[in-house]
Amino acid sequence: MSSSREDLLLPLLLLLLLLLHLASLCLQSLSLVASHACHPPPFSHLIPSAHQNSINPPPSPLSSHVHALVYPTPSTPFRCFYHRRGMAVSGFEGFEKRLELHFSGHDSLGLRRLRCDALAQVLDAVQCTVVSAVGNRYFDAYILSESSLFVYPYKMVLKTCGTTQLLRSVPCLLRHTAELGLRLRACRYSRGSFIFPRAQPFPHTSFAEEALYLEERLPPSLAFRKACVLPSSSSHSWHVYSASAAADDDDRLAAGSWSTFTVEVCMTELDRSLARRFFRKKGDERSGDAVGADMTDLTEIGSINPRTLVCGFAFDPCGYSMNGLDRDSYSTIHVTPEEGHSYASFECTGRWAGGRAEVLDSLRKAIGVFRPGAVSVSFCMAPNVDENQVRSAVGDALEPFGLSCRSQAVEEFPGAGIVTYQTFTPRRE
Amino acid sequence: MAEKGSVIGCHTIAQWNRHLQLASESGKLVVVDFTSSWCGPCRMIAPFFAELANKFTDAIFLRVDVNELKRVALDCAIETLPTFIFLRQGNIVDRVVGARKDMLPKKIELHMRN
Repeated sequence: MSSSREDLLLPLLLLLLLLLHLASLCLQSLSLVASHACHPPPFSHLIPSAHQNSINPPPSPLSSHVHALVYPTPSTPFRCFYHRRGMAVSGFEGFEKRLELHFSGHDSLGLRRLRCDALAQVLDAVQCTVVSAVGNRYFDAYILSESSLFVYPYKMVLKTCGTTQLLRSVPCLLRHTAELGLRLRACRYSRGSFIFPRAQPFPHTSFAEEALYLEERLPPSLAFRKACVLPSSSSHSWHVYSASAAADDDDRLAAGSWSTFTVEVCMTELDRSLARRFFRKKGDERSGDAVGADMTDLTEIGSINPRTLVCGFAFDPCGYSMNGLDRDSYSTIHVTPEEGHSYASFECTGRWAGGRAEVLDSLRKAIGVFRPGAVSVSFCMAPNVDENQVRSAVGDALEPFGLSCRSQAVEEFPGAGIVTYQTFTPRRE
Repeated sequence: MAEKGSVIGCHTIAQWNRHLQLASESGKLVVVDFTSSWCGPCRMIAPFFAELANKFTDAIFLRVDVNELKRVALDCAIETLPTFIFLRQGNIVDRVVGARKDMLPKKIELHMRN
C-alpha cells in the first residue's frame, strides 16, 4: 500500500543521513591521523643537486580524497569590495600566505608593465580583487580584498589571508611574465600556522601539499630548493619553501640588491579595546577609504614610520588593511579584530646597515597599536647579516611590552638568505 | 577641441595653461588625473576616470603625464600616483591620492556643489 511505503520513507531518509554523518566523522578522524603523521617537519633539509628536484612524497592519496569530502569547497570568487566572507564553522582566518617572486629582464619597468587584465586574471585565480591602489617611482602597491600585492620591476610580493588559494597565482603569473620576456629567478613561500587549518582549500590543506604544488609548477631552472618548518615552543610554526636559480649569491651581494631585509610580525590575542577600533560604527555609510583613513589616525598607525604614505582601508563590518610607501620600501598591516580569533600582521622591508634602529622602532610602535598576547617575528635577510644581533635586537624591542622570547629558530635557504623565527608571550610575574 | 564629457590630455605647458584659463573664465571645476606609464594603478583607474568625465559634464577633466609636464607635477607636489587634483579658479581646493573608486565621485559631487 502506498501509504505504508510513505511511512517508511522518512525514517529511511533519516537513517541514510545518519549513516552519511557517521561516515564523514570516520573520514575526519582519518584525516587527523594523516595530518598528524606529517606534522613534525614533513621534509628533511633539502639540499638538492642541480638535477634533482624531488622531495619526500606527500601523504597517501587517501588524504586528498578525504579533503574532497570533508573540507569546504573553495569559496566563490570574491566580488564585493567591502565585506568579509562569513564562514560557517570557523572565523575569518587572519594568518596570511605570502609569496615573493624575483625575476630578471632587460627593461626598466619589468613587472610594472603587466596589464590590468593580466593582473586581474592572476588575482581571480587567487579569489581576491583590488580594493585600492597607489604607486610611486619605485613600485606599485595594491590593497586587496584579502591583503596586499606589491609590484616592483623585478620583485613581486603577494600576501593573502582567509581561504584564498594563493599558490594558484603561480602558473597564471608565469604565463604572463613569460610574454613580457621576464624570467623567474627565485621564489619564496612562507606562512605561519593557520588558526583554522581545516577550513583551508587545496593546495593549502597542508605544507606538504603546498610544497608539492610549487615543485610541480616552478621551472627546473630554479634548481636550488628547500622546504623547512621552523618550530616554536607552541603548536605554531613558520613554514618556508624556497626555490632559486643560484645557491650562492655573490652577485646579488655585490650588486647591493640584497641589502634589504623583510620582517613579518604576526600578532594574536589582541587587546580587546584596541581591537574594537577596527570595527566600523553602525550607521556610518562612508567609503572604506574614508573610514580607513580615520582608523589610521585614531590608532596612530600613520606615525609608525612618519615618512611613510599610508593608504588605509576599512572593511565591513570590521577589519582593516593598510599599505605604506616610503621610497622603495613598503610596509603593510592587516587586522582581523574579532574576539576569539583576533589577529594583526605587520610587515615591512628595510636596510639593516643604517636602517636597523628605524625598523626596530617601527616594530615597537606596531606592537604598541595592538598590545597582543602572543607575537611571532620572522626576518628574511642576506646571509652576511649577523642573525644573533637581529634576534637580540628584536628581543630588546619587545621587552617593554612585557613580552619574553619563548623560542628561536634559524635556517638558511640557498638563494633566499637566512630566515629567523622567534615567538613571544607575556613574561610570567 | 575635445568633445564635452571626455578626458582632455595636456601634453604641453601651453595646453595646461589654456585649459586652466578657460575653466577659470567659466567658473568650472577642474579635476586633473596625474598619471604615468610606469604606474599600474594609474592604468587601472583610467577607464573609471573616463566614465566620471562622461557623467559629470559640467566639470573639466584633464590628464597629465608627470614625465611630460614635470614642472606642473612638481608645483602640485605630486609624489605618488595616481593623484587627482581639484582646482577652482586656478587654485587647488582638494586632492585624492591613490586609485580610490569610492572617494573620487564623492569629492567631485562635493566640489561641484560649492
